[in-house]
Amino acid sequence: MMKYLMLNCKEATILMAKKEEGKLSILGKMQLSMHTSMCSFCKKFEQQTKQISKESKHVHAEESMSAVANDRIIKMIDEHSF
Amino acid sequence: MEKQVIKADPKKWFALYGTLLYQHALPRVNDVEIAEDLVQETFLSALKGLDGYKGEASEKNWLFTILKNKIVDFYRKKATEQSFMSMPDLRAAENDWFDKEGNWAENRMPKDWHASDNPTERKEIQKIINSCKDHLKALQQHVFTLKYLEDLESEEICKVLNITPSNYWVLIHRARLQMRDCVEHYWLKN
Repeated sequence: MMKYLMLNCKEATILMAKKEEGKLSILGKMQLSMHTSMCSFCKKFEQQTKQISKESKHVHAEESMSAVANDRIIKMIDEHSF
Repeated sequence: MEKQVIKADPKKWFALYGTLLYQHALPRVNDVEIAEDLVQETFLSALKGLDGYKGEASEKNWLFTILKNKIVDFYRKKATEQSFMSMPDLRAAENDWFDKEGNWAENRMPKDWHASDNPTERKEIQKIINSCKDHLKALQQHVFTLKYLEDLESEEICKVLNITPSNYWVLIHRARLQMRDCVEHYWLKN
């Protein structure tokens, strides 16, 4: 019985992506937490992936727009304003 | 008290938020000219919609919402143009990560690290995420960008990219494995 409830690491990491979107059944959640409580690799995977997901929203470039594009947009705004 | 009349000043908006919008757009479309065009189109849509702008959302949020729609449209168009491209073979997608029993492959086991909440470390990890994202293969990169940089739900991503849910979950799983591995590599190197 237990054997059928046990996830391997591949299955556990798939369920983590579904959990993130609230798409995991109660059974799935139980299986997952059982697995991560015993598997330190998957536990790390979950924590690190959560951090990546959180910081991804803030990813931005450092550089500014080219002067040409900048002038082009200002000109466009001028033409559309009154 | 008299209600304050909101006067729209698009030129001021551009001075205030033009660079921020561009810096947001660039990593999400990976192309300088396209990012510039999207910012221009954002302001064009804003100018056309000025009458509809009631000052309810902040100007900044309003502009970012317009830009987000432009970015999603960009991916929608891309998906239509590339529809002739066949789906990559996803059957064996995770074989290099796990052994036959589904346990972590020896050289892929997650190592011990995490970034703290201080601004320097956060900035550093964001930079690493940005460059690791560029190493993802096209469709995985699109899925990752829409999910994690643009914060879309899986159903919406399937519609935008015209992929099935089962392909979506394989792609996002693979992208997550690869991204974590890449971020770990650069994080531990520094």
